[in-house]
Amino acid sequence: MEKRVTFSSWTIGILFAVPQLLLIFTFFYWPAGQAVYWSLTLQQPWGGGNIWVGLDNFRSILANADYWNSITASLVFAGISTGLAMFVGLVLAALTDRQLTGSRFYRVVLIWPYGIAAPALAMAFRFILAPEAGFMAVVNQVWPGFWDPGLDGTDAMASIIIAFSWKYVGYNFIFFLAAFQAIPRSLIEAAAMDGSGVVRRFWDIQFPLITPTIFFLLVINITESFQDSFGIVDIMTSGGPANATNLMVYKIYSDGFKGLDYSGAAAQSIILMVLIVVLTIFQFRFIERRVHYR
Amino acid sequence: MVERTPFLNFFTHVILFVGFVLCIAPFAVVAIAASHNLRDVNDVPMSLLPGSDFWLNIKTAWTTADLGPKLLNSFIMAAGVAAGKVIISALTAFSIVYFRYPGRTFIFWLIFVTLMLPLEVRIVPTYAVVANVLSPYQAILDVTGLSWLIEKVSGVQVSLSLGLLNSYSGLILPLIATATGTFLYRQFFLTVPDELTEAARMDGAGALRFFIDILLPLSRNNMAALGTIMFLWAWNQYLWPLLITTDQSHATAVTELKQLIPNVGGIPEWNIAMAGTLIVMLPPLIVVVLMQRWFVRGLIATEK
Amino acid sequence: MTIIKRGFAALAAGALSAALVMPAVAEPVKFDFWFGLSGDLARVVDTLCKNFNASQTDYEVVCTSQGNYDATLQNTIAAFRAGKQPAVVQVYDVGTATMMLSGAYKPADKLMEENGYKIDYADYFPGIARYYATSKGEMLSFPFNSSTPLMYWNKDAFAKIGKTEAPKTWEDVAADLKALKDAGYECPMAINISANESWQLMEQFSALHNQPIATKNNGYDGLDARLEVNKTKFVQYVTDLKKWYDAGLIKIKSKDLGQDMVQAFASGTCQVVLTSVGDHGTVGKTQKEGMNWDVAELPVYAGTERKNSLVGGASLWVLSGKSDAEYKGAAAFLNFIHDPKTALFWSTNTGYIPVTKSGFDYLKAQGFYDRAPFKGREVAIASLTASEPTEITRGVRLGNFTQIRAEFGTQMQAIFANKVSVQEGLDTLVKNGNAILDRFQQTYPGKTLP
Repeated sequence: MEKRVTFSSWTIGILFAVPQLLLIFTFFYWPAGQAVYWSLTLQQPWGGGNIWVGLDNFRSILANADYWNSITASLVFAGISTGLAMFVGLVLAALTDRQLTGSRFYRVVLIWPYGIAAPALAMAFRFILAPEAGFMAVVNQVWPGFWDPGLDGTDAMASIIIAFSWKYVGYNFIFFLAAFQAIPRSLIEAAAMDGSGVVRRFWDIQFPLITPTIFFLLVINITESFQDSFGIVDIMTSGGPANATNLMVYKIYSDGFKGLDYSGAAAQSIILMVLIVVLTIFQFRFIERRVHYR
Repeated sequence: MVERTPFLNFFTHVILFVGFVLCIAPFAVVAIAASHNLRDVNDVPMSLLPGSDFWLNIKTAWTTADLGPKLLNSFIMAAGVAAGKVIISALTAFSIVYFRYPGRTFIFWLIFVTLMLPLEVRIVPTYAVVANVLSPYQAILDVTGLSWLIEKVSGVQVSLSLGLLNSYSGLILPLIATATGTFLYRQFFLTVPDELTEAARMDGAGALRFFIDILLPLSRNNMAALGTIMFLWAWNQYLWPLLITTDQSHATAVTELKQLIPNVGGIPEWNIAMAGTLIVMLPPLIVVVLMQRWFVRGLIATEK
Repeated sequence: MTIIKRGFAALAAGALSAALVMPAVAEPVKFDFWFGLSGDLARVVDTLCKNFNASQTDYEVVCTSQGNYDATLQNTIAAFRAGKQPAVVQVYDVGTATMMLSGAYKPADKLMEENGYKIDYADYFPGIARYYATSKGEMLSFPFNSSTPLMYWNKDAFAKIGKTEAPKTWEDVAADLKALKDAGYECPMAINISANESWQLMEQFSALHNQPIATKNNGYDGLDARLEVNKTKFVQYVTDLKKWYDAGLIKIKSKDLGQDMVQAFASGTCQVVLTSVGDHGTVGKTQKEGMNWDVAELPVYAGTERKNSLVGGASLWVLSGKSDAEYKGAAAFLNFIHDPKTALFWSTNTGYIPVTKSGFDYLKAQGFYDRAPFKGREVAIASLTASEPTEITRGVRLGNFTQIRAEFGTQMQAIFANKVSVQEGLDTLVKNGNAILDRFQQTYPGKTLP
């Protein structure tokens, strides 16, 4: 996307970007560069030495059936949780934006999920989703054996999707709401005077105007569903049962962080990065076309 | 608006209420857990009737984790990250959207890629950088032979060193180095009508002027949203503060909170852990309330 | 010029006098200790540190909890690579092999010797010492928090089926579980099958039955050790557990499912669990009012000559690259930890056991094991010292063992979900585990375990 009207000075333009560039060079690219180097070596965790192995790390990862399962699980997780979190966030924001009685109150509360601390999330969902004790125990009494995330991979996947979506509903809600609120009131009033109803106005005016935000949240949600999921997986399922929820980032985290296999983890991060970049480019090429910027 | 839509209003209320319950339920569970004694909190199923130990647990959590000064540290860190992101991202997005210099797309992608690799994955090398934040530049000087040159010419041996461990900058700066905000502003700036830019230029306003007087006020909602989210995100950061604050004077509330979480083999004092959680979650919620004041309807066309 | 010179002289004199005055108001030498415990255990460690600081004036230990064992090791590595490591760090049992190859430590026995402390290494329970010592018996680190698993059994439930003793063999266990089930108990026994249960189910079982987990004496004799649990008695054990699970005699209880084993036992839901002696205090504090229970050694199969069980927990490593003054402090700290009085404090406030004979004797002499909440914990010592450790009951010394444990959890879950047969699951465990060991060996070419 390009602006028609721009400022001409190159130097001022570049100067505006310098602080960010310095930060990401120092705290992102330099360390990430080391990770790239690690992926091509076998790295001793304590820094005692390393052996150049070229692409061996990548070969052994890609030859591993468990890794491909992990990719599939990650894509399923990303697809469903992004859809769920965005849809619910959008509906709640659109309804709150109608500014009926109580909307000020909802506006505050519906963001809370994103502010929850990880241990609280674990505690709460452990209570809600436990098959024998919590809320789901009631369901299990009606249909015995319906819910068993301890041994049933699908149920475990459902658990982490629910927990993740729940958290990101708050995230999506606040950005959607910001976007809705940025729409000039006069536009909506004018349409109302023309006699179009609430639903009609939503599709004809509000929705097109928030497509840039939808696109933003789509990219961020997909990215975050790859990245921010490991905490939830760690707390709720530890990747189990039988690897059913062993998402890519969790695998990187557990191989590298717990297993001290820095090289293997680095190689996996690079594959992950490439995958997300490809997904993102795809989104920019094909989805951004439908975005109305003005 | 004056129209009457009773059915729709009814559904709006129902859905929002259901959303409210779903949002609040986990918090309620946490609050109830925080009110039980040790035995009841470990009972299965845990009783949903609040127990009587709420204030006792809150007090225990507060004193054992020494939360007072830790909350202040958390606040400084989270506010620093939020402010840093809101400002730096706005500058960058302005540069990317409103200027047309060579390499602009490249810079956008350069920044964008930082979304792809979370800090947890590169924590060991990042730590090394923070231990001496100038080490990348030293390495560049060394590799390019510049430090050799400088030493030859001036006799000064170049050895750059600036450690950020146990400091607020060390807590804050690495957390700012991502692209979420830049991307958000880009999305918003692209929607700002070109007519505004044209008008500003006709009035003789320079880039900086336009940015401060027109663009930033328009971005108010997005800044509020971004600031809130970043504050919450930074507030709940755990691994990074834990790693770089070995000195208690810079420890944050969430790292202290984690120490309330029972170990395997320890006594499962979930009541105290949850009481601590409640305390630690409170300040971000207050921030959310305050930030709400910035959420105001768009002005552009209402000023008639 | 002269003025400047004089100024310098004055400055130098000032600095000199300051240097002379300094020792009189000497600050204690500070050194860092990072540990991986949280919750009430972290508070006990903090108190321990305070006690050490109060016991003398030369050193001050700064204790920082890193939350858990994984994070502690990870953060220590990050700090070490940047030259900011703590002087003393707590590393969990399975990290021992990694530490030994790291080249990042100062051998604890040498440290103590250099600083004039005499430690009687024969005083350590052999089952604990061998786990952390080199194959030649040198102690590179000091055992700290230690535990071993026990069988917890509900006396009230067993009384209902006419038993007053805990079953000693798995054959008896099977019969008792059946009887408990028939007597109307929904959950006769609880197990969990996650990665961490490798400790109770695989490692301890193998030690008690003198079965190897890996070749090369469980890895003590070389990095080329490979798993072999798919052809030992362990196969029968898993087969039986699965059979009992299918028959409803065993239930799976885990935190993810709302109630872990310990809670399930303490609340009276399940009548038998196998878990660490460290949970003894937890059960006491959270148990159902009036419930009678006791602990016993883990069962073995009939006809087995029982061997010692393995220690679990962590040891204290002293890292290289610190100053002599800090090492002096670290040595004093380790000596403090080693003291029987500290052992009493430690065991009173946690569920961990003393690691030395003198510590154990001191606790006994103080009447520790006769008092109500602690009674029964001596069974853990009996289990640890059931025999002199054999070549394969010294412990497990395999690289990246955390990953192998994770693989254990994965395969057990596949087995219990009927995705694979017992033999297939264990074969896969061995295959994937060996790939991990392979990789570890390649990372340290030409290096051998000390």
